[in-house]
Amino acid sequence: MNRDFYRKLVDLYAGGELPQELEEEMEAAAFRDPELSHDMTTLRQTVEALRRSEDVPFTEESYQRILMKLYAQGVDIQPKAPTPAHLQYQLPIFG
Amino acid sequence: MQDSLQDSQTEKRWLTALSQGDASAMGGLFELYGERVFRYTYRMLRNRTDAEDATAETFLRVLKRSAELRADGAFRTWLFRIARNLCIDKMRQHRLIELPPDATTSENEERTALKVAVQQALAELPLEYKEPLVLCDLEDMPAREAAEVLNISVPALKSRLYRGRRALRSKLGGVVEKTDEP
Repeated sequence: MNRDFYRKLVDLYAGGELPQELEEEMEAAAFRDPELSHDMTTLRQTVEALRRSEDVPFTEESYQRILMKLYAQGVDIQPKAPTPAHLQYQLPIFG
Repeated sequence: MQDSLQDSQTEKRWLTALSQGDASAMGGLFELYGERVFRYTYRMLRNRTDAEDATAETFLRVLKRSAELRADGAFRTWLFRIARNLCIDKMRQHRLIELPPDATTSENEERTALKVAVQQALAELPLEYKEPLVLCDLEDMPAREAAEVLNISVPALKSRLYRGRRALRSKLGGVVEKTDEP
């Protein structure tokens, strides 16, 4: 495979979208090509940093405030409610 | 896989109930998707109050159009599309951008600094780059579904995603390299 071929695959490599075999082949190619190596490494590090960059906390306060906004608009919302009765299976009654 | 199948069956039950006029089914849909919609809107708007408003408004719009609902698997895409449109409306208005909560004392300073840098860089990206990054890299949404939310083709989505990642790298400069774990 030539250099251009690997360069075209850098985006897929960074997102972890390549099959293992091809990924290893690219890493081997990067040993011989510092520019390719830098592109691969920094782009993958960017994607990984982005993916672990935030844990958006859905706090109880936010949850309650959203519910209040819905109630204020007259929405009959009952979170954590069981499945509506008409969709539940009826237990057979014996005897 | 099991969870996703179960979610899909649960979604179908609630959608069927809602489309038949059972407004209380909204509670079930909110339980299923409320947190995800909130996280998505928060990531887009970077402000908790705006994200709470957008989340509530998203579910209100679902309720208003409940008669049109179909349990055909496209609900989630439609839901995120509503949330997206609301976010875009809100982004046109003035808003304050919140910095991430400074409650990560257990993490080392470098990693916290990296998170802040990544979030700021993401916030500064043009919307056409930011949206695919939020949907695909942060929400972990499949490309086909993200493309439907954005109303673009899958190749267009991938093109924006890849360009967005490169733009993010440029904005971060060498910050990522310096902070990367061994």
